[in-house]
Amino acid sequence: MASAAHVIIRKRVVILFLFVAVIMFGLGCRLMYIQFFKSSWLAENAIDQRIRDIPVEAKRGIIYDRHGRELAVSVSTESVYAIPAEIRDADETAAKLAAILSLDGDKLAAKLKKRQAFTWIKRKIDVESALAIKKLSLPGIGLTQENRRYYPKDNLAAHILGFTGIDSQGLDGVEMTFDSYLKGRAGSIVVEYDARGREIPYATHRFVPPVEGHNIYLTIDTVIQQIIERDLDRVMKDTQAKAATIIVMNPHTGEILALANRPDYNPNQFADFSPKLWRNNAVSNTYEPGSTFKVLTTTAVLGDKVVKLDDRFFDPGGIEVQGRTIHCWKHGGHGSQTFREVVENSCNTGFVTVGLKLGRDPFYRYLEAFGLGRQSNIDLPGEAKGIVINKNQVKPINIATISMGQGIAVTPIQLITAVSAVANDGLRTRPQIVREVKDRAGNTIRGFETDVVEKVVDAATAKEVKEVLESVVKNGTGKNAYVEGYRIAGKTGTAQKVGAGGYMPGKYVASFAGFAPADNPQVAMLVIIDEPVGIYYGGQIAAPVFGAAIKDIMEYLNVTQRLEENGDPEQVDPHVIVPSVINLEVSEAMKVLQKAGFNPRIEESGERVADQIPKPGSRIPKGTHVLVYTLTPRYGIGSVTVPDCIGLTLREASDILGQVGLSISPVGPGSKVAKQDPLSGSKIPSGSMITVFLE
Amino acid sequence: MLDRRLLRNLDFITIFVTCMIVAVSLIIIGSATHVNSPSEDRYWYVQRQGMFALVNIVLIFASLHFDYKSLSRYGNALYAVNLVMLLAVMFIGQSALGAQRWIQIGSLSLQPSEFSKLIMIIALANVLDTRTGKLNTFKDVLPIFIYVGIPFLLVLRQPDLGTSLVFMAILVGMIFVAGINTRLLMTMFGAAIALMPIFWHFLKDYQKKRLTVFIDPNIDPLGSGYHIIQSKIAIGSGMIFGKGLFSGTQSQLNFLPENHTDFIFAVIGEELGFVGAAIVLLLYLVLLYRGIKIAGAARENFGTLLATGITSMLTFHVLVNVGMTAGIMPVTGIPLPLMSYGVSSLTTNLISIGILLNIYMRRQKIMF
Repeated sequence: MASAAHVIIRKRVVILFLFVAVIMFGLGCRLMYIQFFKSSWLAENAIDQRIRDIPVEAKRGIIYDRHGRELAVSVSTESVYAIPAEIRDADETAAKLAAILSLDGDKLAAKLKKRQAFTWIKRKIDVESALAIKKLSLPGIGLTQENRRYYPKDNLAAHILGFTGIDSQGLDGVEMTFDSYLKGRAGSIVVEYDARGREIPYATHRFVPPVEGHNIYLTIDTVIQQIIERDLDRVMKDTQAKAATIIVMNPHTGEILALANRPDYNPNQFADFSPKLWRNNAVSNTYEPGSTFKVLTTTAVLGDKVVKLDDRFFDPGGIEVQGRTIHCWKHGGHGSQTFREVVENSCNTGFVTVGLKLGRDPFYRYLEAFGLGRQSNIDLPGEAKGIVINKNQVKPINIATISMGQGIAVTPIQLITAVSAVANDGLRTRPQIVREVKDRAGNTIRGFETDVVEKVVDAATAKEVKEVLESVVKNGTGKNAYVEGYRIAGKTGTAQKVGAGGYMPGKYVASFAGFAPADNPQVAMLVIIDEPVGIYYGGQIAAPVFGAAIKDIMEYLNVTQRLEENGDPEQVDPHVIVPSVINLEVSEAMKVLQKAGFNPRIEESGERVADQIPKPGSRIPKGTHVLVYTLTPRYGIGSVTVPDCIGLTLREASDILGQVGLSISPVGPGSKVAKQDPLSGSKIPSGSMITVFLE
Repeated sequence: MLDRRLLRNLDFITIFVTCMIVAVSLIIIGSATHVNSPSEDRYWYVQRQGMFALVNIVLIFASLHFDYKSLSRYGNALYAVNLVMLLAVMFIGQSALGAQRWIQIGSLSLQPSEFSKLIMIIALANVLDTRTGKLNTFKDVLPIFIYVGIPFLLVLRQPDLGTSLVFMAILVGMIFVAGINTRLLMTMFGAAIALMPIFWHFLKDYQKKRLTVFIDPNIDPLGSGYHIIQSKIAIGSGMIFGKGLFSGTQSQLNFLPENHTDFIFAVIGEELGFVGAAIVLLLYLVLLYRGIKIAGAARENFGTLLATGITSMLTFHVLVNVGMTAGIMPVTGIPLPLMSYGVSSLTTNLISIGILLNIYMRRQKIMF
């Protein structure tokens, strides 16, 4: 049987075996490669496939005012997400969802078909939609709790508060600077799924709870904030100014009690407003302060004793410096006057004289001590530094103009801080916007102490300056800020605006900086009116705003009225609780308030009371003014119908629009309204801007 | 009854290895299916497979009584039965997963193409028996090609690309051992490669896709590439010692499809790790080694050819199946012999082993 064929067969069988051995060896190598060398990568892949993270947003902290009134809160809302792998019919799912959420169905379907573990469909939806989606119980579609930021007072303090983005991240204002405290830490639900997208019972299914954000207590006092915002609205309406800013500060602590700019925006719908309106002019704008700066010059020259209050000056109407004549604002000059009168009259000639006498180095020492040319380090975003000419390049002509507040640029916050330093016996403090950060249980996480940065001048000098500033209001250019019953100190300012190629004709910044009461300042305040139409003198338009606001603030703060002449504090009346008159007829409200022992003041000429300051329930002395407002509450929720302004004058149109809570933006050179946008009859959110075209 | 002496000649290594593989198979099927069992009984698959294994083992021991040589007498008859069976599938077969491969008999769904592999081996061994050492010209091999070609095309029509390729592997293995002229074999390989594009043309789209996608499974990760990717992830994530029986996440959670049939090796890789997979491969190596050893030890050429055919079939199955789960072979739906769940496949393979045992048992001429 051992044929040749048989030999071949045996040989071939051996070859076949070798072949099989090679195959098995190859398979073994392949296994080794996969399980040894690529294993960690593949193992990760395995985990990725079955573990899905559903984010759970942390509840953002609440922002309160200094008395615990809510300014920014987080409202629970639901967000819809999709886990595309679990969706059975992407097109059908997309169609159903698109109908509820008013989204583009095709785009949504494309999104759902994408290969990704998790995707948001729509964030922060309303309750009805959430309910409707829950009812559908579509596979692969889920809802998770998220928070929507809500600013219950709408525009109020918008520039301080800022706003948050879709991921509840702070984007502006305190929301941004204190984001790390407010945001908390997001949690998640970790769910293990099988290949068919079913949750695996008893498998990895952890809930990592979110850590709630801390609450923040601002230094802001809502009532003062309301007062100045009301006054800002009024001054914007009256002067048709481009912008306006008011800052109120506690000069002793550096706490900002109120801060507001116009134009403003509603942080609840921040995206609907131009980003230009988000800008917080109070810290971001630099401007030439003009005569308000003379407060600083006065402090410097009195501090270095280059001049005494009773030193006499002669103002011939101008002064020549380095071959250039600087004119006093008063044609013909102020003639012979003491330094006190120089300040009262805001005499340029006098200020240039004393400024030059002080000299460059001492002057710059004061500029630095007042904190000019660098950030005040307030906890608000976007702070500017201001512009101070480099000391080594400064010429006498510059010293001369800086003495009267020109050739130097400051931010409103810098100026109010500097003025506060005078009011605070010469100590400059860091301006603060937040008092305290507390956790949910009420434990203080971080407190803010008064932060004295620098001693600018001794207390005696500061007292002198306070006195002279009081006489500015009593006898000088600041007369319009005078309020009977209060000792007010301050300084007016009117500066021509600088544009490209020099000063711009007809464009002014009117301002007033001061504090009250003069002898023991409780508040310092700065009013800035940018590009008013018509009268532009600070003494004419900014001083009255200052006066009106300070009066209400003083009343609110319950400062004992003190008459400077007799020095006798009036008998303090017993305190009474303010009754609510909101929604009453005006005449009825008057009666109620008078009966309760208050002194009502009607602030608008409507029929029904819309708001009152102090708020109902406040405890204030008898006889105090209670301000009664009849306008619809500003930027109230809901929309208003645009009135017809065509054919009206600018003033008439502005009045009509103002009454329904709309602001006006005039365009064109004429005097009568020819066109308006939006048209009359359209429904728009109150507080919106109506553009009128004048012909 | 069986002769005592014959029983002493039994290949106990093959029996042991086979039993080991079947035992591992039952455990792994249990692990892979207990979550997704179709009936109340979580181990329905295991019981069914185990029951058929027992029945088959009993039958095999009974069949050892008959001399395998008698199979050669039925060679052509079996060949005819095979053709009828394959044709029957075409007309009365059940289709599943896009192919008509099953015939339903009672509660049994039979896959004739599984049996037809073994029939093919027997028939071909019979045909080649008389031709050993006489396969030198194309003329010599052409009838053999036609002989194998007819059932091959029928299986390909089902379509069952995997099984038809097994036919090719059996053919090549057997004619190689039958002493085909080496140069002729090379020429034929060359021709086959040259004809590949034409062959390609006749493939169904999904088959083409499967063949291309294994080169880069990521071109279609959720479609044709899905099996490959999932299988690789499962094996890879098992690492050296595996995740332990019953705790392979990928296979238990249905990420891995066909985890108790074609992709059972990936379950082994995931749950038992490299160590387990290597041991299983070693078991197969021993089995195949025994197969070849038996081929060499056979009493006459028919036995050698029979053993060669069986070993070729098993080798090809192991290569393609393990290669597929490890991402180096296209997905063709070839089960892992003795390991994958499937009654037809298990029966075919156990009968094959039985034939091997039969050949080895009768390796010496026994004088009565």
